[in-house]
Amino acid sequence: MTLAYSLAVAILFGTGAYMLLKHDLIRVAAGVVLVSNAANLFIIAAGLSRGVVPILPIPGGERVADPVVQALVLTAIVISFGVTALLLSLIYRVYTTHLSLDLDDLSEADERDESEQELAQLTGRNVSRRAAP
Amino acid sequence: MASLFSPAPLLLLVALLAPLAAFAGGRIRPGLAAPVGGGMALVAFAITIWGAALSDPDRVSVTWAGSWDLRFTFVLDGLAVVFALLATGIGALVTAYSARYIPLHLHHEHRDERDVVPFLFYLLLFMAAMVGLVMAQDTIALFLFWDLTAVASFFLIGYDRNARSVQAALTAIVITGVTAILILIGVIMLHDRYGSWDLPTIIAAVGEDGLPGGTITLAVALILAGGLAKSAQVPFHFWLPQAMAAPTPVSSYLHSAAMVAAGVFLVGRFYPLAEQSDLLLWALRVVGLASMVVGGLVALTRRHLKQILAWSTISQYGYVVLLFGLGGDYGVAGACFYVMAHGLAKCALFLTAGSVIEAAGTSYLDEVGGLARRLPLLAVASLAAAATIVALPLTLGFFKDELFFAAAVETGPFWVAASVGGAALTFAYIGRFWLGIFIRHPERGRTAQLHPLSGLLVWPIVVLGALGVAGGLFPGPITGLANEAATVARNATAAIDVETAYHLDTRPENLMALAAWAIGIVLIVSERLWQPAVRAFSRLGDIAGPERIYDGTLDRLNHWSDFVRQFEVRDLRSRVASILAPAGVLVAIGLIASDPTNNAFRVGSVSGGDLLPLLMMIATVIAALTSTLARDHFALALVLSGVGFSLACVYAFSDAPNVALVAVLIETVFTVLFIATLVLLPRWVLRDVNQEPDDHDHNGRDAFIGVIAGLLALLVVWSTLSQSSVFTSVGDEFVAQTPDAHGGNVVSVILADFRGLDTLGEITVIGIALLGIAGLLYRGRLR
Repeated sequence: MTLAYSLAVAILFGTGAYMLLKHDLIRVAAGVVLVSNAANLFIIAAGLSRGVVPILPIPGGERVADPVVQALVLTAIVISFGVTALLLSLIYRVYTTHLSLDLDDLSEADERDESEQELAQLTGRNVSRRAAP
Repeated sequence: MASLFSPAPLLLLVALLAPLAAFAGGRIRPGLAAPVGGGMALVAFAITIWGAALSDPDRVSVTWAGSWDLRFTFVLDGLAVVFALLATGIGALVTAYSARYIPLHLHHEHRDERDVVPFLFYLLLFMAAMVGLVMAQDTIALFLFWDLTAVASFFLIGYDRNARSVQAALTAIVITGVTAILILIGVIMLHDRYGSWDLPTIIAAVGEDGLPGGTITLAVALILAGGLAKSAQVPFHFWLPQAMAAPTPVSSYLHSAAMVAAGVFLVGRFYPLAEQSDLLLWALRVVGLASMVVGGLVALTRRHLKQILAWSTISQYGYVVLLFGLGGDYGVAGACFYVMAHGLAKCALFLTAGSVIEAAGTSYLDEVGGLARRLPLLAVASLAAAATIVALPLTLGFFKDELFFAAAVETGPFWVAASVGGAALTFAYIGRFWLGIFIRHPERGRTAQLHPLSGLLVWPIVVLGALGVAGGLFPGPITGLANEAATVARNATAAIDVETAYHLDTRPENLMALAAWAIGIVLIVSERLWQPAVRAFSRLGDIAGPERIYDGTLDRLNHWSDFVRQFEVRDLRSRVASILAPAGVLVAIGLIASDPTNNAFRVGSVSGGDLLPLLMMIATVIAALTSTLARDHFALALVLSGVGFSLACVYAFSDAPNVALVAVLIETVFTVLFIATLVLLPRWVLRDVNQEPDDHDHNGRDAFIGVIAGLLALLVVWSTLSQSSVFTSVGDEFVAQTPDAHGGNVVSVILADFRGLDTLGEITVIGIALLGIAGLLYRGRLR
């Protein structure tokens, strides 16, 4: 079982890393989801002392599954959900400002912005005067 | 614990309070900083003498981090006394000198006169760090004070804030800071082997029969390298001439009695270990000889007064290192004696240079001259100091060379020749310095007008010069201190007793001294003959010396850093990659270093009850792999929620129903949220992203990175999970206490009660995320 859990964590992490490198922002978010899933499964597996469910009444003499790890993962799941939700709304915001979700487009736009700013600095007043009326 | 009213704790306390007191005094009135700080330094000096007078070295020991076996143990032993006397005594004199010099200097630089306060603060902080350093027995405490000296020296050298002094301060802290890491590594290696941070314990554990093996030799070599870099020895010497950009009192303190002395102090502190390896002694000899020759030759070429003294300091500390390398009672006692004699005299010469620069308004040797008649007191005082360094009889310096020659005679004819050559070089460059200022006529121009010198710019030099002569007439006390220091440095059971006295006979030491003076006089007279050759040597050093290598390395590092940054900020993807890749490299190094075969990877048993989680894990994995193939975004959303739900099942079947329940809830909300986001986005945007196919190269590269990441994760997770947990979980405690908390479900009681504060934190995080989301979406709508 040790190997099985390790493999599952590794595959989740590996696919997550692969998705993180995509140029599509939504897939990047999916990568974050997968990596945090991998982390949660790792914590559960690390504290894995199989036994009776930790809910009272516990039959005497039985081993109890470690409740601390479960509490930790519970917190982690909720927080990673919060992070994902924030990420998704960020993505939506990126769309509303750039009308694209492609990282290549975005960095191009970045460069364009920078060069425009440089141009504005170089030519200084001309630009602003033309923009004023 | 001993009472507070004994020398060791009192000295530490006074020294550490001195910078704060000076700062506080300076806040009231800038002029108050120097008397307060100088007074504290004098008190510290007196306490050190008190400690030296005790028959047993006084000690104080406080537990610092007990579970790591770290203590603050400070002992005022012979070695500590020598260096503490230098640091506090010369510290007091330099403070007095600075009280007059720094306001003048600030006036020249058009700076606020209140800036004298931070100057004195850092100067006294340096003194405090020195005092702590020389008394520390715990190697980590020693390292801490070592770094404190580096920090204080950075602010002192960079005090003038112009490009040159900032550059110099940076070089000094890079060289001494990087080599300080070597010391830390060496100390950790020693701890790894002997299980103690306490230096006497380590020395006792090593024993007397040579260093056991290459690792320990390497550890001691690393520590010595750190010390030699601080002492500005070849090939780390170049920071010191640069550091002359600092105001003169800084140079006279750091580069005579404090910073460079700290380096040879470290050599002395670890000498019981170093002494046991012939290899290390030979290394010390080679480095010492090289520094002596290089420093001496370059000092002969310099025009700038302070540069002459800087290179002479490199050369003089080369002597000390060579003395340690020669070893034996004469060598070690000679080294300790040398540090004291040289510290006094070199400080006086630096202060002389400062006063001359202040009076004549120029800092070049060939632009001043013939000042003996106009500044008679300064001339006589600095003559005494110069005579101490060139080891004329009736000065303290005579005996430093006698001991040096005695150690050389003990070792062999080559070292006899080398020591006479070194002494002759010293005679030549110090003679050139003193004669050039006070006797010879200036080569260029003429120093017509002299600014009057205030008493405080002369009297400290007089005190130091008088001490040099007094030590020459009555060498007993200084010799006694040197002997005690040598006893500590050699870890000798019987006290070392090297004698210093005048003998009017033809013993080798006397003949060698005569030979050195004769050669020195010939060198001074024949300056025109050898000057071009020495200049060529100095040029060669500028072109191909270690300074060039240092500059080149720094440049290349800068380029590399720029390159990495360029790559990193290009877009989100390269940013993610530049976090993932180094993290992966670190993890891989950690895995290799921790020897993964040590806790063999275990496959683990599979029992009947494991079948269900196993099946669900297979489902999870399949879903995860499918997510990489999904072309359509809606398919991606569904596959992702598939991953989540099958994971929830894994949790459920791993006896974690609470987690499973939450996972199902969250996964449901998540799926809705994801699809809702997709619905908000127009189709053409999604199609655009999808249709722009990743070119083949990138896809292959990303997949490769993904596989590597997965493999590393597998290694880490598997080796972690394979270790049987040795500790008992607090879980049992929680289970037992759950009825008292009026709950049935242990996990929910933990969340709501036992670890309720954590849950509050979690809620806060969610709340902040919610605010962020609301802000983002609201503003988005308005557009």
